[in-house]
Order: sequence, then structure tokens, then C-alpha cells
Amino acid sequence: MAVLEIKNIAKSYGKIKALDGVSFDVPPGSVFGILGPNGSGKTTLLSIILDVLQSDQGTYTWFNEKPTHLHRKRIGSLLETPNVYHYLTAVQNLRITKSISGRGSEQEIDEVLKKVNLHERKNSRFTTYSLGMKQRLAIAGALLGSPSVLVLDEPTNGLDPVGIAEIRELIKELATQGHTVIMASHLLDEVEKVCDHVAILKKGKLLAHGRVDDVLSDEECFLLSAQHMPELRAAISLFPDILRILDTPDGIECYFHKSTTTSLRINEFCFEKGIVLSQLYNKKKRLEEKFFELTND
Amino acid sequence: MFKNILQTEWLKVKNYRAFWLLMSVTAISYPGINSIVYFSYDDITSGKTQGGAIAKMILGNPFKFPETFHTTAYLSSFFTFIPAIVVIMLITNEYTFKTHRQNIIDGWQKKTFIWGKFISVALVTLIVTFFYMLVAITLGILATKTYTLSVIFGESKYILLFAFQVFNQLSIAFLIGLLIRKAFIAYGIFIFYSFIVENIVVAYLKLKAVKYGQDFGRFLPMEISDRMIPVPAFIGKFDEAGYKAANVAISTHCVYTLGLTILIWVVSFIIFKKRDL
Repeated sequence: MAVLEIKNIAKSYGKIKALDGVSFDVPPGSVFGILGPNGSGKTTLLSIILDVLQSDQGTYTWFNEKPTHLHRKRIGSLLETPNVYHYLTAVQNLRITKSISGRGSEQEIDEVLKKVNLHERKNSRFTTYSLGMKQRLAIAGALLGSPSVLVLDEPTNGLDPVGIAEIRELIKELATQGHTVIMASHLLDEVEKVCDHVAILKKGKLLAHGRVDDVLSDEECFLLSAQHMPELRAAISLFPDILRILDTPDGIECYFHKSTTTSLRINEFCFEKGIVLSQLYNKKKRLEEKFFELTND
Repeated sequence: MFKNILQTEWLKVKNYRAFWLLMSVTAISYPGINSIVYFSYDDITSGKTQGGAIAKMILGNPFKFPETFHTTAYLSSFFTFIPAIVVIMLITNEYTFKTHRQNIIDGWQKKTFIWGKFISVALVTLIVTFFYMLVAITLGILATKTYTLSVIFGESKYILLFAFQVFNQLSIAFLIGLLIRKAFIAYGIFIFYSFIVENIVVAYLKLKAVKYGQDFGRFLPMEISDRMIPVPAFIGKFDEAGYKAANVAISTHCVYTLGLTILIWVVSFIIFKKRDL
């Protein structure tokens, strides 16, 4: 059972492919980060799953059901900029959110504004707010009525360092209470700190996805195979500083602390033991390269 | 469902000063234009000159019951552009603030959003029709010495015609706002078209009516509903045949107006559903 299941979603703006066959599942109770540089298709993807944009191909489901407006009522969402009525106050805007979504009550409006530290200015008009306060109001709208799923597009945008820390804490707290949070971010650091799952997008393509520990770990992984796998397994377990060994259908995955060994040393080691490797492949390095591409945009 | 839509749209305008300001301007414009005509007529006819007496005899008082409903409807309809600006504002605001997205994200269906705007336009129509009725009845009371209920509401069909005309023209304004999305460009297009372009084209087609076999000008979007309320009887006196023909055409134009109004809202639904938000 997945909260959100995305299958082969594609979307083009003219010649530009904003999304190119993206598929992944969001497990319940996870904090799922969608990581990518600006223009990688994060907002487009979130817009599609919130029915603001129509995908050219592919499907998605919410709670394993065909998506309808009733699902959206149960999902607290913040998409791109704060989309609120500028001439209204925080409370008046949240009343509209409440009226449309059916989430929350007058009392909860008050509570949620306290939670995002906007309570003192709750009766000021939106136009008088600073950038950070505007963002806080948008987050309050998503949190209203404590929805089981939250979709947050760059939630810490425009906040000062204290604000960023507060919102990150808030998201972690939500996760411990069993909420599922899907958040887009262009900050690797943020995803590492807040999320337990991640999908990495670049130029509309999904580069990697899975548990943050697996995708973003500081470990290095080498994939090895040889003609006689049991011998290889026995031999490699003697390799110094090896952290753990995993048997996979593709071969043996050996984990090391980052940059403590090289392909060359592993190859030499095996050769000395009389084993000729048929495959030696640095998995982590591939991911690092992806990150290099990502973070150097 | 209806209650929820109504409540949500109410929350959007309840504390919106520009909305109430423009509605107040509308509320002032109706008695403004009508009383100018009323007191001008009074000035001309109350004088001791012979011309004044003749004018009074020939024209009759345009604000007497029941003709006041007709005269006031005709004169007030020149100011429909003010509530039209309100309507354009209500839809282009959603695009400016991107709240058209947020409404969908928060759980409305796209058709609910358009229903919301339909209801808003209907409400604005009801409010301005109420203003019009107040003016028509007030001037009617001032102008009429003795009257009975049946006399008062003898031409009350104009209340419905006025409301229908306003609703149709506000719907046109709405569609322009929905298509253009930018407030000031939409105001510009609406006002330039309704005050200048269409009037020129209507006048031109009237001149060419003989050549083309009929007057195609009456099929232009604003003109369709303009012709539901012909010139007041006292102006009609200058062209009796034309006035009679205009009166006969009212029911046909009601049908056209209904068709156009339905078309506008169907198109609005389709545009909002198909277009990326």
C-alpha cells in the first residue's frame, strides 16, 4: 500500500520535456523528498499530482485509488508561491481554505497560526507580511485540520535560518505523529536532514529513488562478481575495513566507508586470492556523479 | 454543495474593499443618471413657456408609473460597465493571486470553481437590479400623483429584462476576464469593445441593412441583450414605427440572449477544464 503511486508520468511544454517518464511510490508515514535543481520538474510533478496540470502520459493514484477532488481535500498542500488572497488577513484566508477543503475549525485556525508563529499578526492583511510570514501562512494552510498527507513545495523558501530550522522540526514532528510528508527541495542538505525517502530529479528524469540512507549514504558500494561466487564471498569477507556484504542477484555488494578503498585495491586483493573478477563496479561513485551534476547546476 | 460554494465566494468578497467600493459607485451611478434626466425633464416642462407645455403633452412624464421601470432600466444600463469591472476583477484576481490553483488544490473540482463564479455574477446582478428597482420606484413615486398597484407594476417585465441584460453582459465580461487573465488588459478590452467597437459596427451595419437584406448588428454580443430594453417611450415618439418594431423584437432578443448566456458559461467551463492552471 502506497500513499502515492506515480507511474511513468511525462509532461512537455512545447519542445521542453519537463518530466520524462517518472515513476515511484511514496510509502505511508514517510517523509519523502523530491530533490532536484531549479527547473528539474519538481513543481511540475507536484502540480500534476494535485490536478493543477494535466500530464501528457502516465498515471498516479492517491491511497491506491483513482485520484479525485475528495482526495485533495484530505491532503494539505503548498505549491510554489503562497497562493492566497492578498487583500485578506491570515485568518480570513484560512477560513477560505477551511470552507473549500472542509478541514479544520475556527479553533484549529488559531492553533495552526500559533504553530507557524504567525499568531500575533493573524489579523493583518497578507500584503503587510514579510516574505517569511507569507510562507508561514501558506504552510499554515497546508497544516490546517491536520491532514494525513502533506505536499509541500520548497517549504523553507524565503525563511530566515531560524524559520528554516523551525519548519524542519515541524516536518519531523509531523512524521513522528504518522503524517506522510511529500516535499520538494533543491537543497541536498535539507533532504538529508529531514527526509527518510528521496527521489532525485534532473531535467525531468528520475535519477535515483529510495531510502535516503541507501541513496545518500556516506558509504561506498562496489558490486563484484566472479565465476565462482562462494569463493569470492569467502575471499572478500577477509578484505580489511569492509563494513558489510550483501548478496544480490547482480552480484555481491561490498560496503566501505567513503574513499577508504579503490577498485584497483579490490581487484589486486582478489587476484592475489586467485579469483578473477568478471565484474567490478563502483555503485556509489555513480551516485556521487549524479550529485555532482545536481549540486553544480 | 451550493451553500458551500456561496459561502466560499462570500468569504472572498466580504472583506474586499475594492469590491464594495465599486458596488457603491454602481449604487450611486443609477440614481445619478436617472435623476439628471428626471430633473432636466422637470426643468423643461415646469416652465411657463409654451414649448415646455407642448413637450409635456407630447412626451408624457418618462418617470411616471409604470413607464419609470422602462426609462430607468434604459438609462441605468449605460452603467453596466461598473459591475462588469467588478466581475472582471473577481476572476482576474484569482489568476493574479494564483488562488484559482489553490482552490483546486484544496479540493474543489474545476467545475465547482466556475459554478462559484456563476453564482457571484448572479449575485452581483441581483444586487444591481435591486439598486435599479429602488431608483425606478422612488422616481415613480415622485413623478406620479395617483397610482394603484396594477399601474405601478404594469411594466414590471422590465425588472426581469434589466436583470437578464445585466447578467448577460456581466457574463461577457467574465469570459473576457477568464480568457485574458490580466486585469487591466481585460478592463481595456471590455470597455473599448463595448463602448466603441460595437457601437461603430452596429451603426455601420444599420446603414448597410438594406444592402445586406437585414440588420446583422443585432447579433453582436452586447447588442443582443441591449435590444431587450428599447429606448424609452418618450424617445420612441420621434420614430414611432421604429419604436413599435423594437418592442416586437424584445421576445426574440430574449431568446438570443438566453442562447448567448448559456454558450458563454459552457465555453467558460470547457476553457477552465482544459486549460492548465
